[in-house]
Amino acid sequence: MIALEGTTARHEPSGGKRGGFDMEGLVGYILLIGVLLSMTLIAAGVIWHWLSTGRPGIAYSISGMNLFDFILAVTRQIFSGAFRPRLFVNLGIAVLMLTPYVRVFASVLYFAFVERNLKYTLFTSFVFSVLSYSLFLR
Amino acid sequence: MSFELLFFISIAAGFVGAMSGMGGGVVLIPVLTLLGMDIKHAIAISIVSVIATSSGSASAYVRDHITNLKVGMFLEMFTIVGALVGAAITVVSAQGPLFFIFGLVLLGAWTALFLQRHHGWTPVAHQDKFSKWLQLEGKYYDQATGQTVEYRGARAYFGGPLMFGAGFIAGLLGIGAGALKVLIHDLVMGLPPKVSTTTSNLIIGVTALAGASVYLAAGLIDPGLAAPVILGILIGAFIATRLLVRLTNQKVRLFFLVVLAILGVEMILRGLGVI
Repeated sequence: MIALEGTTARHEPSGGKRGGFDMEGLVGYILLIGVLLSMTLIAAGVIWHWLSTGRPGIAYSISGMNLFDFILAVTRQIFSGAFRPRLFVNLGIAVLMLTPYVRVFASVLYFAFVERNLKYTLFTSFVFSVLSYSLFLR
Repeated sequence: MSFELLFFISIAAGFVGAMSGMGGGVVLIPVLTLLGMDIKHAIAISIVSVIATSSGSASAYVRDHITNLKVGMFLEMFTIVGALVGAAITVVSAQGPLFFIFGLVLLGAWTALFLQRHHGWTPVAHQDKFSKWLQLEGKYYDQATGQTVEYRGARAYFGGPLMFGAGFIAGLLGIGAGALKVLIHDLVMGLPPKVSTTTSNLIIGVTALAGASVYLAAGLIDPGLAAPVILGILIGAFIATRLLVRLTNQKVRLFFLVVLAILGVEMILRGLGVI
């Protein structure tokens, strides 16, 4: 009985009404999937390079560019069929950097359309705009 | 620096970081610079790995419904701006001051660890109007005691601006600065310990991303060097959480105190150009 009550309390939304939408679950899964996907891509790139050259280390650097240019360059490589180990590593890093960004975007949508909370829609939009500027426009 | 060396150092840093609750960067950056890496590159690589570790652990805490999303979202507004400013300063700064400030932060962490006490949590008796307006309250189910804990946050008008400072340090030095964030949650805003650590984890990811965006644009993130560090730190942190090693043992705690003191003094001396 006590255990049952505990389970209910645990899954009860913690901040007011949420319309039965599990925002915490969504945020948690965005972060989890992002990190796992990114680690898989980076590990795949490293292992591929290791198998083909006998050394795991890929020595290369990228010149200064924003995330948008970075993703654009990676996409161009994919479409030109230039599959190389470093493409996977780059993709992994891009996915990693997009993970918290997608989380913030999901929060904006949640506060705007599910919780309909103007204050927090503005707060999350501010965070989203600042990050967008810094990631894509500089 | 070879892939293997970077990989194993990062596993060790991730392990030590998760065990001590300090995060991997605090150990990783001094060791990388000792091995000859440029401090700005070490900072830039570290902050990318911080995104990975914080998002990884935040994902579990958020799904457990302990993290307070509203507290997190409100404070993020301050930390990301701080991180952008901090990272922009690092990009143009000389190496010396970065070593010096890093050393000071290490000695600050040393002091926090030295004075560490497990004080009880006193609920906020009177919530101010601003924090009430921000809807900074919540409840969570504590598995250890089997009770639902209700709490209210307070003094958000101090907490916010102080978080700018925590974000600034994070962006400037490429670390999560989680200990600083937890301190603000605990002492200023009166949040229960579990809520403050888990919420700080959520904030660290976005803060690190803001800093990383500056380093990426400055061309300081080298994917060839970042790959082994990201993988290593995450593996090390994962092993530490699986083994459930915590800083309860006095000998382990003493070991960290010695390591932090040596690295802190070493960084300060390098910053002053003595060594």
